[in-house]
Amino acid sequence: MGIPSAPLVTKAFKDLAILNAAKRGMPHERICFTPHPVWGKTPEEVRAYVEGLDPVSGKPLMKEIVDALTVPLSEEEKRSGLVSVSVGPPTFTDTADNLQEFYLNNGYTDFLPILLPTEEKVDRMMKGSSHKPDEVVGKMAAGAYPPWSYNVRQVAASAVMAGCRPEYFPIILAIASSGMASLFSSTNSFAFAMVINGPIRDKLEFNYGIGALGPFAQPNATIGRAWTLLSKNLGNGGIPGDTYLGSLGNNLNYNNVVIAEHEDASPWAPFHVQRGFKKEENVVSLFRGLGVVPGQVARGSSANENVQFDYQLSDLFSTFTGFFGALIIADPLVAARLKEQGYDTKEKLIDWLYKNTTQTVKDYKSRNYAYLFDYPRALRGDEPWATWYKLPDDAVIPHFPRASDFNIVVAGGQTNAYPQAGNLSYSASISIDKWM
Amino acid sequence: MNRRNLLGLLGMSPVALAGASALQASDKKTDQTKKGTTQTGGPKLEVLNPRGLPPPITLVPMAKRLDTLDGKTVYLISDGFPGADTFLNQISIWFKKNMPSVTTVYRLKAGGFADDDPKLMAEIKEKGNAAIMAIGH
Repeated sequence: MGIPSAPLVTKAFKDLAILNAAKRGMPHERICFTPHPVWGKTPEEVRAYVEGLDPVSGKPLMKEIVDALTVPLSEEEKRSGLVSVSVGPPTFTDTADNLQEFYLNNGYTDFLPILLPTEEKVDRMMKGSSHKPDEVVGKMAAGAYPPWSYNVRQVAASAVMAGCRPEYFPIILAIASSGMASLFSSTNSFAFAMVINGPIRDKLEFNYGIGALGPFAQPNATIGRAWTLLSKNLGNGGIPGDTYLGSLGNNLNYNNVVIAEHEDASPWAPFHVQRGFKKEENVVSLFRGLGVVPGQVARGSSANENVQFDYQLSDLFSTFTGFFGALIIADPLVAARLKEQGYDTKEKLIDWLYKNTTQTVKDYKSRNYAYLFDYPRALRGDEPWATWYKLPDDAVIPHFPRASDFNIVVAGGQTNAYPQAGNLSYSASISIDKWM
Repeated sequence: MNRRNLLGLLGMSPVALAGASALQASDKKTDQTKKGTTQTGGPKLEVLNPRGLPPPITLVPMAKRLDTLDGKTVYLISDGFPGADTFLNQISIWFKKNMPSVTTVYRLKAGGFADDDPKLMAEIKEKGNAAIMAIGH
């Protein structure tokens, strides 16, 4: 900007603020700190913060701020140039036990045992794809950080560590090529999901029947885990206080929500076909949001002769944050019943849910995410938020900004007719075949 | 943890902090995974470092500081997190009470909290002398 500035950050984000400033070229930025949190405090409480001490430096906060803007720069602060960042040597040599310990202590794992990525195992993994070891696959960041880059060999190392078989490798490469990390810096403890479509589901023996979302098949378990290891090792994600700030964290981050769609039992078009791919293509689609909840919690979810899954789903979604989308994971029994109700395409159900899952403007404005994320977008003129903020409090508006915020996949073993639902937004669909 | 140690974790060496340009990461192999590790038996294995490649950091010289804030205009910028407006209002009150010659201007940055707001940045550059930016929670 070219004029002096003083960033003001709460103490909980000290490491994040210092490291992110450094990554962006200002390792000595004059960051001032307040006690944490500021959110929810009264003006009197906040005044005490302002008139009190910077909890990091121990000096009066306002003196810190004034000094940040007026004390002449040091030579370090004036410096320009290019600095490389080291992540260590390309290989490590030690006993297996010591290497396990080393990987764990250096944050290369999810704190579960790994398969050590020996050259032999990594070479075998890379035979699962025709792509060359040094080919650049993509760039990844776990938030608003400068992204890291990586090649096929580096992706293979994390795939080995996760316990993947070489034939899974094209899926891992497709995920890596998206640049989407499954560990995200937000304090909201995000969750991530992937949907697998195409013949590869059967070829690799994904489980999309009984226990489809559970730990009952190797590809479901290890490919999901690999995404998290990629995110840590290639995207530098998952470092608490630096690139990960989720207050509670999210258990789904261990291997993410892996959904192989039960295409044969679904009355509707497969998810990847909805996205413009051919049925015979192999595709992985990625989602990001807050998590998955069971359909049993919806009102009217008791079994009866005229079960109304559309109303149940709408009820469930009305509790979701509209900042993320709604992903319906429908057991085939649920899908079949919805078709009997007249929803012979996913699009018809989505249209009904979009129009019938509503809220008043007053309720909408009271939501934290609306103030934090949507109001600044409304100020910028982005729709529909700009219009929503001009409406009277009693006006009724959709709970989600767009019909496209709803997505539907079918999976499950048909042992009971319940859906699950993710407060998850669709991000991207990537061809697996391109990485064969 | 102090700033220097934090930057060390980032992989920025003390030499880099002292200003050497275009430092290169070592590409030597290592046979010492962790000093002090209890050595266990068995053959030694060579394994790959699974880490990706961080981008080099382009150091940005900080803007020249003001001689004084007297008579200057200071923008108070909220990135939209709840409470930032209350906090910045108290800072404005503090300036009125303790440094009355300072003019403060409050603005809520448009867009997501991590998005740039070029219109506002241009306004600050044109009309302001300094900025205090409240970031998050």
